[in-house]
Amino acid sequence: MRYARRGFWPSVVMAAIVAMASLAAKADEAPIAQIKTATGPAFIVRGGTKTPAVPGASLFVKDVLQTDAGGTIGLTFSDNSVLSVGPSSEVALAEYNFDSSNFTGSMETDIHSGTLSMVSGDIARSSPSAMKVRTPTAILGVRGTSFAVEVGH
Amino acid sequence: MRWCAVLLLALGLAACARDELFVVLPNPDGTAGEITVDDGKTQMPLNKPYAAGEMRGGKAEAAKVEPQEVQTIFASAIAARPMLPSHFRLYFVSDSDTLTAESEQQYRAVFADISKRPVYQVEVVGHTDTLGDRSYNQQLSLRRAQAIRDRLIKDGIATSAIAVAGRGELDLAVKTGTNVSEPRNRRVEIAVR
Repeated sequence: MRYARRGFWPSVVMAAIVAMASLAAKADEAPIAQIKTATGPAFIVRGGTKTPAVPGASLFVKDVLQTDAGGTIGLTFSDNSVLSVGPSSEVALAEYNFDSSNFTGSMETDIHSGTLSMVSGDIARSSPSAMKVRTPTAILGVRGTSFAVEVGH
Repeated sequence: MRWCAVLLLALGLAACARDELFVVLPNPDGTAGEITVDDGKTQMPLNKPYAAGEMRGGKAEAAKVEPQEVQTIFASAIAARPMLPSHFRLYFVSDSDTLTAESEQQYRAVFADISKRPVYQVEVVGHTDTLGDRSYNQQLSLRRAQAIRDRLIKDGIATSAIAVAGRGELDLAVKTGTNVSEPRNRRVEIAVR
């Protein structure tokens, strides 16, 4: 009886350790951006889990933003870059690192479909090749400006 | 659409459809920076307001789009753009965390800017001039940042939305030698986003 469910506790303990490890990883990681505006059907996809995008939500590197028809998301990065995503779009925050003590870093935003507009911040100012936007067929280098991208129709 | 160029050759079609569109938007002051479109072979710079490029069949080409058309294509994305970040500098009386009379007025502009934002984050970084001891100045710069934070909290700004740091005499706004009293270096820099 005592050992009848021998396999149970070790697997519970393992699951708990794995859960704690992944929580700790998220807690260690600083948010890279905050959602400021959201309308219509708009979502954050993080590690396969899809949650509604709401103003105030923190965003982390590798998060994917998805909107359906009528949905939009606006956010501001910790380097003061501003990104907004139009309807029926998918945009990934693929790479981001920023040192707030000397205002340098690098970032790559990937747009798979739809529309986005951006206003660059401190990262683009720090070096000419630091801010990139990747589309399915091209890479944009951004040197301190406001711009917009559409992928597909 | 990536294989469009290949199909063109095979079928003798006139042109590929546009797969992607890139447009430089004017800054509020009418100027523009630069984006470069790299298709793996060439790099196309776009550096004027409403300068546009497009991808057709894997190839970057210049494009012509009217400002009106840009406003239509990107209307929703542009409407979703958050209020742009603001930057402020507040100055202090020598060796104190008391604002100068002028910056006392400016503080109200900082508070008004934060109040306009439904969701906000505020970063306050304190600085000093080079007069006095370096480690004392490190403490003084942090005290200045904390004084502004405490005041914002008292005025109703959320504690969790304010981050403070002190940089001592590490980031001088005006370069000076050591032991120089310089009013423009006795400051906090505030970023609101």
